[in-house]
Amino acid sequence: MSKQTQRKSMKYEKKEYKKTRTMEANWYLSSYNYKFNITHMQPFLKKMKQKKLIGNKCSGCNRVFYPPRLVCGECLVKPDRWVDIRETARVATYVIAYLKNEEGEVEERPLVLVQHDGCDTTSIAELAPGVDVKDTYIGLPVRAHWKDEPEGGLEDIEYYDLMEDDAEDLQ
Amino acid sequence: MGRQVAITSAGFSEHASKRSDVSMPELVNEAIEDCLTKVPSVELDDIDAFVNGNMPAFEGSNLPELWMTDWMGARNKPLMRITTGGTTGGSVAIGGYYTVTAELPGIDTVLAVAFEQQSQGDTSVGLASVAYGEISILNSLGISYGQLNRLLSGGAAIGVAAYQATNYMSKSKITEEDLARVVVQNRRNAAKTWWAHLKMPDLTIEDVLDTPYIQYPLRYGMVCPASDGAVAMLFTTEEKAKDMCDIPVYVNGVASVANETAVLGYDGSGSAQVDPSAQIGAMKSAELAYSQAGISFPRKEIDYAEVYAPFPNQELMWDEKLGLFEETTAPEMYETGVTARDGELPVNCSGGVNSTNAIGASAMERPAVAALQIMGKASNQVPKTVHTSIGSGWGGSLNFITLMVMSDEPKRKWK
Repeated sequence: MSKQTQRKSMKYEKKEYKKTRTMEANWYLSSYNYKFNITHMQPFLKKMKQKKLIGNKCSGCNRVFYPPRLVCGECLVKPDRWVDIRETARVATYVIAYLKNEEGEVEERPLVLVQHDGCDTTSIAELAPGVDVKDTYIGLPVRAHWKDEPEGGLEDIEYYDLMEDDAEDLQ
Repeated sequence: MGRQVAITSAGFSEHASKRSDVSMPELVNEAIEDCLTKVPSVELDDIDAFVNGNMPAFEGSNLPELWMTDWMGARNKPLMRITTGGTTGGSVAIGGYYTVTAELPGIDTVLAVAFEQQSQGDTSVGLASVAYGEISILNSLGISYGQLNRLLSGGAAIGVAAYQATNYMSKSKITEEDLARVVVQNRRNAAKTWWAHLKMPDLTIEDVLDTPYIQYPLRYGMVCPASDGAVAMLFTTEEKAKDMCDIPVYVNGVASVANETAVLGYDGSGSAQVDPSAQIGAMKSAELAYSQAGISFPRKEIDYAEVYAPFPNQELMWDEKLGLFEETTAPEMYETGVTARDGELPVNCSGGVNSTNAIGASAMERPAVAALQIMGKASNQVPKTVHTSIGSGWGGSLNFITLMVMSDEPKRKWK
């Protein structure tokens, strides 16, 4: 672990420059009010409360968006059909992050984007705590793990449990 | 199409992690001076219009073009400013091209300048401010800031590029050694370029693999630096170009393509770019620019390529997506030396973005170097004669691509 934390600098040809006067300054940014349309999200968030997943389907290109999207950028129409999406998903892509936990130790954690079965988009997700980073790969089958009492938000899926890979059965 | 446009000169300032000796306008002035000394017949009075661009959020000075009007020699002349994120430089170069090709009355010669002095501010904070709108939407839908922070924990662009690297590596079945090989080629090339930032003449693959991970699969040694620097390019008409220099470089094709974002979707929705390394936008931009330039076999007809690649996996990926190599064969080309300085198709002989990254300027340094290679005035000149070259740019959440195709012959006219 110690090797991951130490910053080993690499040698390169450096040139020393004279120093001109430097002033320190700050930008005190005011708060902003971003406008964002949430109407298309309401049916989806309601279903999340019942532990059910839905996405909206574009009638032009038949793509299913999860979480739902207001306008399909390809066809420029509002996706209006709601379809059920399975709880099972596959890891579309992943990276491994090295972050300090509360005790100050560097922890390896996989960060994943998952694609649910039955939809055409990826979404941000977390794998179950204690998953070995070496087990993560693209196409890893996972299943949504719900909160005990969903509140109607994206965090209702706490994390994704690993499933047994059934790829061998298909052969 | 408008009239034919030619590039007659390009100049650079010195790049370093901290150019503590100059202020922002002085830095820009350095690049303009280098650009104009290469064309002795051109005075500042001969320049009719200016295009200027950088990413203001990274340095904390809004509207920098007001500050540097006099330093550029733009007083009483048209001045336009362009900011498009990572592709700023590419868009500024294309802006210069458009200004000349539009045949505006009295505007023949245009100076395009792109710059960035990142040591003034904090790039990660600047990038966070760019992504903040999207992140606050996800937060309002119930994803905690803790999880979102982890998503972008690599800091800056690594957070999204690492996903691309995993996908590319599993698709083309390469190891980290192949990535390190690209880095070694770039940084050794940078050692021979006078204005480059990370000059490492003795770098080896082992040195790169010895550094810690920032975010798997990208290591500290593979990641681009943050530099201060500026670049200037002179665009003019075909007739005037012949008086200015011996070998004018003609711009035969430009493309700027926006695709759907990868990793983060719009308004909290999922992203339909399931595979971030698919890069349909890059293929589209290549198709657009090559068809304008009349290039049907890019691998045969292009002699030199400058590819915007802060991370080694991206250089391999874009070599393929821009049609230089077949899919998944780029790593072999780096192994066999096809892309080396004396190879069949040299790539990034200036060291690329991997060695020098002044964000706003980076995407314009690519066409600038590619043009100088045709003129034979580049710092790390390739031994063979270059007839056609390309310079690309990348930005956004893996979704904006710019491309410029240059040649020593004007466009073929099909009639």
